[in-house]
Amino acid sequence: MWQLMKIKTKQNKAYIGFILPGLILYTMFMIVPIFFAIFYSFFNWNGIGPMEFIGLDNFRKLLFDPRMSRIFYNALGNNVKYLLCVWFIITPVQLFFAYVLYIKIRAHRYLQLMLFLPYVISTSIVGFFVILIFDPNIGALNKILGSIGLSSWQSAWLGDPSRSFTIFVVVVIWQCMGAGMMIFYANLKEVPQDLIDASQIDGAGELRRFFNVILPQLVPSLTTNFVLGTIFALTMFDIPFIIGGSQGGVNNSLDFVNMVFYRYAFGGSYFGETSIGFGASISVTMFVFILIILIFQTKILKKREFDS
Amino acid sequence: MAKFTENRLWESASAKIIKNSITIILLVYTAIAVVLIGNTFLSSFKSKDDLIKNTLGLPRSFTLDSFRYILLEDSFGRYFLNSIVLTVLSVALLVFLASMVAYGISKFRFRGNGVLQTYFLIGLMFPIQLGILPLFIMLTKMHLNNTLFGLILLYAANMSFDVYVFSKFFKGVPNSLSESARIDGANEFTIFIQIIMPLSKPVLFTAGLISFVQIWNDFYMPLVFLTKPSVRTLTLAVYTYMSNFLAKWNYVFAAVSMALIPIIIVFFLFSDQIVAGLTGGAVKE
Repeated sequence: MWQLMKIKTKQNKAYIGFILPGLILYTMFMIVPIFFAIFYSFFNWNGIGPMEFIGLDNFRKLLFDPRMSRIFYNALGNNVKYLLCVWFIITPVQLFFAYVLYIKIRAHRYLQLMLFLPYVISTSIVGFFVILIFDPNIGALNKILGSIGLSSWQSAWLGDPSRSFTIFVVVVIWQCMGAGMMIFYANLKEVPQDLIDASQIDGAGELRRFFNVILPQLVPSLTTNFVLGTIFALTMFDIPFIIGGSQGGVNNSLDFVNMVFYRYAFGGSYFGETSIGFGASISVTMFVFILIILIFQTKILKKREFDS
Repeated sequence: MAKFTENRLWESASAKIIKNSITIILLVYTAIAVVLIGNTFLSSFKSKDDLIKNTLGLPRSFTLDSFRYILLEDSFGRYFLNSIVLTVLSVALLVFLASMVAYGISKFRFRGNGVLQTYFLIGLMFPIQLGILPLFIMLTKMHLNNTLFGLILLYAANMSFDVYVFSKFFKGVPNSLSESARIDGANEFTIFIQIIMPLSKPVLFTAGLISFVQIWNDFYMPLVFLTKPSVRTLTLAVYTYMSNFLAKWNYVFAAVSMALIPIIIVFFLFSDQIVAGLTGGAVKE
């Protein structure tokens, strides 16, 4: 398409003036820092003094030194747990909501607007709402349970490590579901009408029609949502930081790799040492992890695409 | 055939019951947002005592005390202004630079064009956190840490998505208009500003709007780069208030209301465009 659309333009150098300002800014603040991050991760450097090349030692410390690795693996475990939620709960929920809007259930216009609304509310405000509902003393949930005689169901909610992760997932679904839902919805509206008509004449049942006719048409939005969801899951920061605190909630049940990185890089130090290099090694490790998951995921989606 | 031309799914009697139950469930579910937002807004006019005794109910008292405090004794006006300046200037610079890049790439033929297209796309691959430490060091060295200007540059540099969306749009704009202007002797930049930009208003607006929402709500970058109170943004101010929650319980409601109102207004005015901006580059192709 690129070639076809490009109708012959007079050869001139004006493009330099158009591209250069953006190119400089983009290179300087998007691309160069990435190389620096990879570079720093091989050094022991506190940010001011001399830099000492230590090879892969930062990565060894992160992955195998129990003082650090315990914290890292706990956080990574939470990232992965959440990623599984993206794959098996959140994305299906988004697709379900998009589908019920698509089949035009009653009040679908209003519902579409209101389901999408929380997406524009900032995370710190969502954190405030979480307090309004789940705070054990002033939150609405415990008050309501108390007033209808279900005091035994009252709980510390986020203060209870066995419940905090579930609440976290519920909050994420409430706030962030709208974007993926709208991406699915936009894709659903593009499903060719004749495909649906044909299946109607064939007399296919509704569920069969969904899985055999509609779902195969949704591969583009599925890919988009899985990729965005994966990156979001593995870079999770705002919501757990705000609702669980910077230390990652009770018993670190809401600690995520990015929060470990933040505490190490900007919030003081672990075990009395500050190392830019070590901080960088956390983000580089996580990036490699994201790439591996994305490649793995693309393979599976590709396979499904050919199957259908 | 006529009855098949409409999109008729789940039309049987039992399906209708299922559909209507889903509607009811979703109405209740979406009511959570209405209640939370409405309650926060109304409660911000309650007096402190009323709020403690009657957190969830309708206000029994009316006072502007909380707003007076956050605006006059604290500097919420300042935080508000910081957010506005940061968001508006970032979006303006981002849309301006990204549209110029996209125009240069999609409407001119030159060696290395394809490489540049890919180069501008790779930013989508990298999570923002990967480069954040080097960025922090860079900005500190440039004395741009704790300045709105520094963060504006970072937001504008994150242009991959916009370059992609604008390139796609510009490729569909016919060359005849700019050709005739070129024959009349207009220079390339004038053509871009006076012919291409007005044509592209809708796409520039939707892309700008989605960036507006994202930057306005951003928490991570201000948390890292704007640590001084004088450059604090609204989202950070709300977060700071929540840390002092028990002492300033009624002020938090006013703070949250102040932060909520602008974005809710933007949402109800432009929800279609926000969705378009969000899904613009996502589904096609």
